[in-house]
Amino acid sequence: MKHFYYRLCRSPLARFRQEVCRIVILFCMGISLTGFSDPKHQAPNTIELNLKNVTVREALREIERQSHYNFVVNHNRLQILNKTVSLNVSDNKIENILNLLLEGSNVTYTIRKRQITLIPPSPQSSFIPVSNAGGVSSVDMNTETYASAKFFLTVQAVKGKITEEDGTPLPGVNVLEKGTTNGTVTDAEGMYSLNVSSAESILVFSFIGYLTEEIVVGNQATIDVLLKSDAKTLSEVVVVGYGTQDKKDVTGAISSVKGSDFENLPVSSTQQALQGRASGVTIVRSGGEPGNSGSIRIRGVGTVNNADPLIIIDGVPSDGPLGDVNPNDIESVEVLKDASASAIYGTRAANGVVIVTTKRGKFGQGLKMSVNGYSGISNRIKSIDVLDAPTLATLKRERYTNDGLAIDPIWEDASYQTQRTNWQDELLGQGTVNNLDIAIASGGEKSTFSLSGGIYNEQGMIKNSYFKRYSFRINSDHKISDKFKIGQSLQLTNQTGTAPNTLSAQDGLVWSAIRFHPGLPVRNPDGTYSSSQISSQFGDINNPIFTIDTQDRRSGRARILSSLNGDLELLKGLHARANVALDASFSDYREFNIRVLDQTRTTTNNSRRISSSKSYSLLQEYFLAYDTEAGDHDIGVVAGYSQQTFDYSDMTSQRKDLPSEDPSQRYLSSGGTITEALETRSYDALQSVFGRATYGLKDRYLATVTFRADASSKFGPNNRWAYFPAFSLGWRISEEPFFQGLTNVISNLKLTGGYGELGNSNIPRLQYLSLIGGGYRYSFGGGQTLGSAQSSIANANIAWERAVMTNVGLEAGLFGNKILMTLGYFNKQTKDMLLAPPSLGSNGTASIPFQNVGQLENKGIEIEVSYRKSVGDFSYSLGGNMTYLTNKVTELYNGNFLPGPLYGRSSSEISRTYVGYPIASFYGWKTDGLYQNQSEIESDANISADPRKDNGQITPGDVRFVDLNGDHVIDDQDRTIIGNPTPKFTFGINATGVYKGIDLSLFFLGAADVDIYNADRMQGIDPTYPFNMYAETINRWHGEGTSNSIPRMTNNRDNLNHRTSDMFVESGAFFRLKTMTLGYTLPQAISNTVHISKARFYITGQNVFVITKYNGMDPELGIIGANGFVSNSQINVDYAQYPQARTWTIGAQLSF
Amino acid sequence: MNRIIKTIGSCLVICFTFVQCDDLLESTSYGSVTSQQFWRNGDDVVSAVNAIYEPLLQENYFGHFERTWDIQSDDMWRAGDHAEDQAIEYFTYDASNPKLIDTWKWRYEMISRANAVLINAPTVEMDENLKNRSLGEAYFLRGFSYWRHYLVHGEVPIFLEADVLAGNLNKEKATLAEVEAQIESDFTKAAELLPVSYQGDPDNLGRVSKGTANGFLAKFYVYTEQFQKAITAGEQVTQNASYALAGSFEDNFKIDSENNTEILFSMQYTSNWTTDNTPQIYTTPRPWGGWDFREPIQDLVDEFEPTDPRLDYTVFKVGDMVDLGGDAGIQEYTADLSTSGFHFRKFASWKDGGLNADQNAPILRSADVYLLVAEAKIRLSQSGDAELNAVRERNNLTPVSNATMEDIMHERRVELAGENERHQDLLRWDKAGLIDIVAFYNQDRGPLKPARTFQRPKHYYFPIPQRELDISNGILVQNENY
Repeated sequence: MKHFYYRLCRSPLARFRQEVCRIVILFCMGISLTGFSDPKHQAPNTIELNLKNVTVREALREIERQSHYNFVVNHNRLQILNKTVSLNVSDNKIENILNLLLEGSNVTYTIRKRQITLIPPSPQSSFIPVSNAGGVSSVDMNTETYASAKFFLTVQAVKGKITEEDGTPLPGVNVLEKGTTNGTVTDAEGMYSLNVSSAESILVFSFIGYLTEEIVVGNQATIDVLLKSDAKTLSEVVVVGYGTQDKKDVTGAISSVKGSDFENLPVSSTQQALQGRASGVTIVRSGGEPGNSGSIRIRGVGTVNNADPLIIIDGVPSDGPLGDVNPNDIESVEVLKDASASAIYGTRAANGVVIVTTKRGKFGQGLKMSVNGYSGISNRIKSIDVLDAPTLATLKRERYTNDGLAIDPIWEDASYQTQRTNWQDELLGQGTVNNLDIAIASGGEKSTFSLSGGIYNEQGMIKNSYFKRYSFRINSDHKISDKFKIGQSLQLTNQTGTAPNTLSAQDGLVWSAIRFHPGLPVRNPDGTYSSSQISSQFGDINNPIFTIDTQDRRSGRARILSSLNGDLELLKGLHARANVALDASFSDYREFNIRVLDQTRTTTNNSRRISSSKSYSLLQEYFLAYDTEAGDHDIGVVAGYSQQTFDYSDMTSQRKDLPSEDPSQRYLSSGGTITEALETRSYDALQSVFGRATYGLKDRYLATVTFRADASSKFGPNNRWAYFPAFSLGWRISEEPFFQGLTNVISNLKLTGGYGELGNSNIPRLQYLSLIGGGYRYSFGGGQTLGSAQSSIANANIAWERAVMTNVGLEAGLFGNKILMTLGYFNKQTKDMLLAPPSLGSNGTASIPFQNVGQLENKGIEIEVSYRKSVGDFSYSLGGNMTYLTNKVTELYNGNFLPGPLYGRSSSEISRTYVGYPIASFYGWKTDGLYQNQSEIESDANISADPRKDNGQITPGDVRFVDLNGDHVIDDQDRTIIGNPTPKFTFGINATGVYKGIDLSLFFLGAADVDIYNADRMQGIDPTYPFNMYAETINRWHGEGTSNSIPRMTNNRDNLNHRTSDMFVESGAFFRLKTMTLGYTLPQAISNTVHISKARFYITGQNVFVITKYNGMDPELGIIGANGFVSNSQINVDYAQYPQARTWTIGAQLSF
Repeated sequence: MNRIIKTIGSCLVICFTFVQCDDLLESTSYGSVTSQQFWRNGDDVVSAVNAIYEPLLQENYFGHFERTWDIQSDDMWRAGDHAEDQAIEYFTYDASNPKLIDTWKWRYEMISRANAVLINAPTVEMDENLKNRSLGEAYFLRGFSYWRHYLVHGEVPIFLEADVLAGNLNKEKATLAEVEAQIESDFTKAAELLPVSYQGDPDNLGRVSKGTANGFLAKFYVYTEQFQKAITAGEQVTQNASYALAGSFEDNFKIDSENNTEILFSMQYTSNWTTDNTPQIYTTPRPWGGWDFREPIQDLVDEFEPTDPRLDYTVFKVGDMVDLGGDAGIQEYTADLSTSGFHFRKFASWKDGGLNADQNAPILRSADVYLLVAEAKIRLSQSGDAELNAVRERNNLTPVSNATMEDIMHERRVELAGENERHQDLLRWDKAGLIDIVAFYNQDRGPLKPARTFQRPKHYYFPIPQRELDISNGILVQNENY
């Protein structure tokens, strides 16, 4: 019976019923699914009043109802409350509404957090302008002073218009003559007029959320001002999991990057643009090909397995890459770095959380349209100098002579000693990048929308490599009733692309171009491609231009990311919210491999291969959010339920030996032998219950407690559920009474600290089962036979990996928040680390399951600093962030090590992960120059007992390896850690300046105290390969004193001169002008004539210059290699992968 | 307020009631069965047996790597462009040589798959004959893997059914005698269980037979100098028409006749199904689609008697006309195609201008067993003439009378050239005191095969791969000579 019941529950019908059940609950909970975009965040709390002949008292109630504000009034003294008013306004600035409401009266008010106190007129009241000075959250206004100002003696009338950066008029801006109480506010059109006392008067324009401007009046009658929004003000709202928080109340470690910081950069993915923009966040990229956006690492590599953070796009956790989102659609990216901030996403948050919020329309906003377009070209930054054909032949002959062998005749053949082709020049051409996107946004009283569409098209430097994305987005919000709102987001993307293989040291394309014989032409006189089939002396490389010209492969992916959310206000401050989302991807991959007989790497039969996959992820989340304030106590609670299912299926088909290779016949149905027809399917699910409570006392003492319980189908029934608690505390020191004397210097000071645990289940599924694979091929008597064997071994005890994090942060604003600083320390201990230990050969080839057998430690310090200032028409800002990080493995299975993948033909082991050292450290021999003569060999203690010495196998010009274990023999026991692939310091520096219509921004990126293993050079100067060599090989040892670093030419490997050693470990430190943008905005007087509210033109350079000692192509790229399931078993190794380009684009931004 | 709380409360109750039933977190291994579900019937057992053969075709095992050891012999030079091969050829290799790691792993993979069959098949309800055949194949292939381990490494850990059931997969090395006992036991059981032949059963051609097991037993007994047993086992082959020598030497290497009675064990390739990275692609000239490894040298060519027709089918030499098929047609083998002037022909065939991946590669032929029986008899001071001459006469060579070990050495070299036997033969004869391998390998055989230093006994065996030692936590101990 139990079994039957079980079956029933597993049936599709049951799944359907379960979905129905969810939807029913959805309806019970309010038919009002809203997402977790907190109302505070959606167009920061727009208040709409449409009142006719009501009392002010009633109007205040309405404001209370629509907002989170509470009014404190003294009824007896406030006659105005009974005054009848009519009002029709929609605004998100409470001050503007209050100013309107209280207009004509002499009542003032203060806003302290959510509490607004109406103050009856008093004789002492004075005008204090709104200031965005940090920590001053109160606003006093006395409209009476405005009136009295009119009676001042004036000599000059000034008027003008105040606008936002995008040209929108700003109503309610305070305009004050400096040093006086003479002032006014702008009207609904952003217009103001004011009489000032002299030409020396300085006008101060200030508005909450914007940078204050000061302008000398001079002889100007019209002063139009563009106020820049102040992204760093303390009123900033930060998106946190399942809600938003005021930045000043945040106690966790969160870095926020505004979309405007990276708009219109010529990159395919936001991920690339994030590099260097937030402390503790690094983007590691293994190649620069179009569409390769790299991986995000938050506070170090957190685990040897998949260390990618969780990405949440508009509330939907997804595995999909950020490259699907048009970077210009993004409002902000929040990176949750510590346990307290991330714990609400417990399950998948061990490696941090990245929350992407896209742009939405705003209530009460007019129709706005913007068009962005840019176009540019990309070129290679550097190539590797290689030998020319005559020199190559010379060195090859020297090799034979040194070895006492007859010279292979091909090296005497003059026809191959003419320099013909620089293969890197042929391969690395010019790429292009083009982008166009159009966005329309509008908001009425009840509904808003934003609509955008874009096309991004990047053609790489290497022919036949490209990335093209079409993106389309609709976001809208609707007020169904006063208490019920719904919102929706829909993202449609379609991307296609392809790139050559550049990750192999056997047939990688850039690798091949460095090594292909320089004496061969691209094409022979008869039009065919040249080939190394001529001689095995030329190596088993195919002509790289042939390879890329004939490559026929394409991958495509369409994705629908759609969410619907609702918010029902049950009681004041209590909201029931729901979020349902579908994330569906449809991918396909097609390739046709032609028959190749005249290149060294032949393909005897042509083949067509296609694979397509579908994945559906369905998310449902229901939660309650409650916020209240009682006296000094400020309480917020979020609690809810979440589940997400992941269905995936794919099919792969392949035929070989198709009858025709004509492009129109490269289809499976054209015929040939079916060699593959595979189907896979998988289902996984996550189920969670979560809660968070925040508490603030006197706006000074803050606390956050978070808890999440998660279950994942990736673990066996006994280990499914895990619990992740976290807490953090904050102390706003600058709010303390004792601190008040210091606030003119330190305007804001906050200390935070936290502790928490997070989980990671980024591992292949079904590790708790031992599986039989059925695809092992053999042939009996010419037939096609399949065999079955164990493909994976089970680990019944597999359980969650945990990251335990401790965190301390200090946030400071100096000199009226002109300088903002945050300082953070973190200590992240990864426990029960999931890794598949290297298997003994005696286990055969079945995959070893993940086991909870490791510990890892990431510790570090993060600093973010920014400074901004305006001097007359010139305003500038400087910002920087720096991260210091150490990574250390503290425990591994049985105290053993994890091997890295083997490199190239020589199967060199480059990386190993050992306890006590950084993950994937370089592991090899230490060297001490070259032996210059025989007597050095005879007297060298390193090899005094080495039989190779007595056999004459070590000769002058060979490398002197250091005997580390003291046995006077050089062997495997003499290896040690020789380098650290993870940068200890990473930093980004941002500088912007604006002068009138001209803007310039520079963004620098750098890393220090990091090593790169230049594996390509290890092979590039190794004469035992039948390939071309690096040009520096000309400086090889060829007699005493000729070189102490580049070994002699020999084909003899007795001394293994080019084994993994410190000779190939280089500093990976670099400093790069990553992007530079110079823009010009047309004066409005001109742009308005063609009905454009703003027109900006700009030129952007990407990877403008780099300062580095690194000899390879690019210090910013390094292969991240997997060995079996261990994804991070090799880091920062140079395989001559697809390099990054230097890109220059010109673009235009138009707003209507 | 109360109403709302009640509504939410009841909703949550409803919700979690459903959640209780709901098996949201149950996942399934769609399309692959778990090892508990497997072993349902005879088809499963046959499928599991098929999988034991599969590693033979791996490029990093018998396809190429395992055949590399023979470049130490005087038959060929390494050619190719893999630097680690030079270390093998010149006896300067160390325990990190990449050829060691994969071959070690694949031998154990075959053992692991065989153990799975030996553990599970006995309890499966199936046709008894099929079950016996399957068990026989598993015993043979396990014995074969230990045999290869024995030749390459000598002392290795032995994993049997009980170790698998106990999860004991990190063991100390067994002694040489223990390894020998295991090989003998597995081959003997296989010889009892396996059918005589698959001729007439085209779907199963290429499976191992009683003849395969007896052939390897004969070889094992010769290597361990148990000559009488070698003769007994070998004669199970030489005296059974099911394993008769093919009509001509070249029949063994032609696709049309590659599964003839003489082929006791071979790597069975099928184009568009199995890998293209076969012994064929490794041993053919580059301009003809191969990768040009293991070129025969003049020294081997000189070994052939002037009238021996086998030379033509063993090597390509300058002036040979070769049909590549398709547009390429018949081409002349020219000097610039190789460094030594020769390529092995045994594994080569072309179709439509490209290599023909249907080409099999033999691992054991009856001719080898004939010569082993002859050797056993000679070393027991009996006459081996009959077996030796059976091989010679097939090639129309004059019979030898009162054949000596020298005759055997000559005949084995020319008959089996390139088939991965020569270096092992030389090692075996050196251990028996019949030759001095140190002196033999110290001869200069021209620029491609200079004098090399063989250290006895170090170079009888290869070291255990360094990474295995590193990972085993001290349980595996290196071969004492390294």
